[in-house]
Amino acid sequence: MTQVAKSRSDSPHEPSIPAGAAPLESILCTEELRRRPSRPPDYETETRALAALVSALADSPRTVLQTLADTVLAVLHADSAGLSLLTKDKKRFYWAAIAGAWRPHSGGGTPRDFGPCGDVLDRNIPMLFTHWERRYPYLSMATPLADEGLLAPFHVNGEAVGTIWAIAHSKCRSFDAEDLRLLESMGRFASAAYHAVESIEDLTLQMTGRAKAEKELRELTENLEAQVRARTEELEQRSKQLAEARTRLADEKMLLERSEAYMAEGERLSHTGSWHFNARTGEYFWSHEAFAILGLDPHETKASYPLLLERIHPEDRSRFDQVRSAAISEKKDFDAEFRLLLPGGVIRYAHRIGHCLVNESGGCEFIGAMMDTTERRLAQEELRRSEKFLAEGQRLSRTGSFSWRVATDEITWSEELYRIFEFDQRVPVTIERIFTRVHPEDLPLLHDMTDRARAEGCDYGYEHRLLMPDHSIKYLHLVAHATRDQDGRLEYIGAVQDVTERRVSEHALDKIRSELAHVARVTSLGALAASIAHEVNQPLSGIVTNAGTCLRMLAADPPDLDGARETAQRTIRDGHRASDVIARLRALFGKKDATAESVDLNEAALEVIALSRNELQRKRVISHVELADDLPRVTGDRVQLQQVILNLLLNASEAMSGVADRPRQLVLRTEPDAGDRVRLSVQDAGVGFEPDGVEKLFEAFYTTKTEGMGIGLSVSRFIIESHHGRLWAARNEGPGATFSFSVPCEPATAAGAQSPGVR
Amino acid sequence: MDARSLVSVVDDDESVRESLPDLLKQFGFAARAFSSAEEFLASDFVGQTRCLILDVAMRGMSGPDLQRELTRRRQEIPIVFITAHGGEAVRPRLLEQGAIECLFKPFSDTALLEALNAALRTD
Repeated sequence: MTQVAKSRSDSPHEPSIPAGAAPLESILCTEELRRRPSRPPDYETETRALAALVSALADSPRTVLQTLADTVLAVLHADSAGLSLLTKDKKRFYWAAIAGAWRPHSGGGTPRDFGPCGDVLDRNIPMLFTHWERRYPYLSMATPLADEGLLAPFHVNGEAVGTIWAIAHSKCRSFDAEDLRLLESMGRFASAAYHAVESIEDLTLQMTGRAKAEKELRELTENLEAQVRARTEELEQRSKQLAEARTRLADEKMLLERSEAYMAEGERLSHTGSWHFNARTGEYFWSHEAFAILGLDPHETKASYPLLLERIHPEDRSRFDQVRSAAISEKKDFDAEFRLLLPGGVIRYAHRIGHCLVNESGGCEFIGAMMDTTERRLAQEELRRSEKFLAEGQRLSRTGSFSWRVATDEITWSEELYRIFEFDQRVPVTIERIFTRVHPEDLPLLHDMTDRARAEGCDYGYEHRLLMPDHSIKYLHLVAHATRDQDGRLEYIGAVQDVTERRVSEHALDKIRSELAHVARVTSLGALAASIAHEVNQPLSGIVTNAGTCLRMLAADPPDLDGARETAQRTIRDGHRASDVIARLRALFGKKDATAESVDLNEAALEVIALSRNELQRKRVISHVELADDLPRVTGDRVQLQQVILNLLLNASEAMSGVADRPRQLVLRTEPDAGDRVRLSVQDAGVGFEPDGVEKLFEAFYTTKTEGMGIGLSVSRFIIESHHGRLWAARNEGPGATFSFSVPCEPATAAGAQSPGVR
Repeated sequence: MDARSLVSVVDDDESVRESLPDLLKQFGFAARAFSSAEEFLASDFVGQTRCLILDVAMRGMSGPDLQRELTRRRQEIPIVFITAHGGEAVRPRLLEQGAIECLFKPFSDTALLEALNAALRTD
């Protein structure tokens, strides 16, 4: 680049690059266009803009360049936009039309060889600049300064003649690949427009010349009689001039044809054909591209309405005909989309717009454009298809998606979410409406989550239930991700999955699991029973055999008294042996895992509550804990005492599992008890028990529960008694029962020195 | 019935080893007690034994193990199994495998005698 700059500075007429000017590469960021996330192609806007430009070109060719600048500004959402044209001497760029913030600079320009336009023409590619005043100091006077400038060259007759450009004056707007695509599309139109404007200007000039000549001719004719002879020679001369004028007209016509070729190229590239229709004569003009879109050759056929109609898909013909007839009779613009049925059964999509021009005599003409929108349609269809895939995926996985704009409470739901909630899609979703479906028991949870989501703006997820109108219950799993838009407004994007089937099978699984656990416990009990039986059966066997032998010895003739005595003694010994077995078993169970340590019953109880929290929540039990301060410690086996507490908690929750008319409230309480003891009680609001049933509760294998083992309370009582304590049950004044145990405090003096009754 | 038929008792429980031989002698048999299958196999009485009263579950070689070993040695001795494990389930399998009877401890003397008579009839 330095080399180029040096050669440029050789010319005295060119502004030289000042020392310290930023190098060209430092103000270029064209590569960014590929890296930045781009918005999706907006063919709709592009097509509308091009169609409007074609109309503008027909209506007011003189201002078409300004219209083009306005259009670029609007389509690219730029701050400024315009066209630079190379002057005839090719020394400068002339800012032919500007829209937006830079409009006051209209008519200004930049040197050919030292400015962004020149750079673009040199390389003949579009470029994205940032703060070009760092290299070209004169641009610092063009305010507001350009944060980014996107330029594309445009050509006429294969030669670059100018640039079309868009500017962002602040960081708020940065251009992307879609902007470049649109700008280049406009650039192609600019090529055609540029040439058309030149031709029209020339033609108008020529028409004026001809009118003047005709006037002169008329004047000559009026004086013909008087001057016929005298002026014959002069007339011939005039005629010669006329002939020359005609030749010039032919030349102009040639020029016009050339501009038409450029126009045709532009049309070909944008798949847009132009047409003209004179309603009075019924004459049609179609551009080359208009023929091409219909699959016709302009050299073989002549434009006509029947020909157009023939190419329109039979199903769309009458609709199009109605639109067109109405436009002609009411002298108004029209706009129609329809299908084409081309030879070979090829179907294409077309969009035809017509602009009605009413002339002085009241007759009307239409000028318009026809676009082949097949590719756009295909893209749209592809989009629709992927949307359908998504919807299908959502349906199959029972997952709906949603967005929630927190500030406005604007909620958008996918179709599947409406299906899950069984809501009518036509009624807008509101938070209040959602809450009407939420299971009443889960409403507090949901209110809480909603408030937190509003306040915190971070990702969240939870499960809740719906109560449907038919009283069925659905389980939903929701996850939401917090995002913020450019203005920092909070929006959640999330997914909701209907996990009812999974929950139902999990519950079934839970049931099977607990049944299995029950079977396992019963089985291990069976194994224990078998082992006890074996131990006891051995000496019993000896006893029975000895007794049999003894009887036989006594019955013999003569009786074997010595033998009988011996076998009787063996019988006694085997009896003792059986008794020893029982004693051994008791010792075995009594000693199991028991330790003596100092235990804080409050801490122990809190641990158990923490461990069983899930289970209690699952059974929708509300647990309250009322722990006495400064509760004396007790001595014992912490784990065994916790087993007792757990057993009491689970029993209480079990007793309330059928309760629906009142809160399933459970209170765990600790307090000092009379006689240096500590008491722990668990109060429930469950089914309670019969007055005379208290003692039965503690019998082994007694249970009121279908899934109970019936040994929980008897084991608990055994544990508490081995701690020199007492376990009892009492009926509440209200519903339910309270189970309590009390155990002695740790001796205040030698803490832990004395073991309780734990063997 | 040969009054001098030898009936051997194999059981790891002492009560059984002490009580059964006396009862067997009351029935009129010669009787020998062994505390394990290994001890019985190592003794000189395998060939003379007319009937074997065999505990099912023993440390080391079990009752059925001994039965298989005898079959392997072609020592076809009628076997009456005795067991302190009260599971009825084992009985059909033992009978299927050729045992004369399977008695659950504690068993009556008449039940034992019936089993012995059956064993020696087939002998």
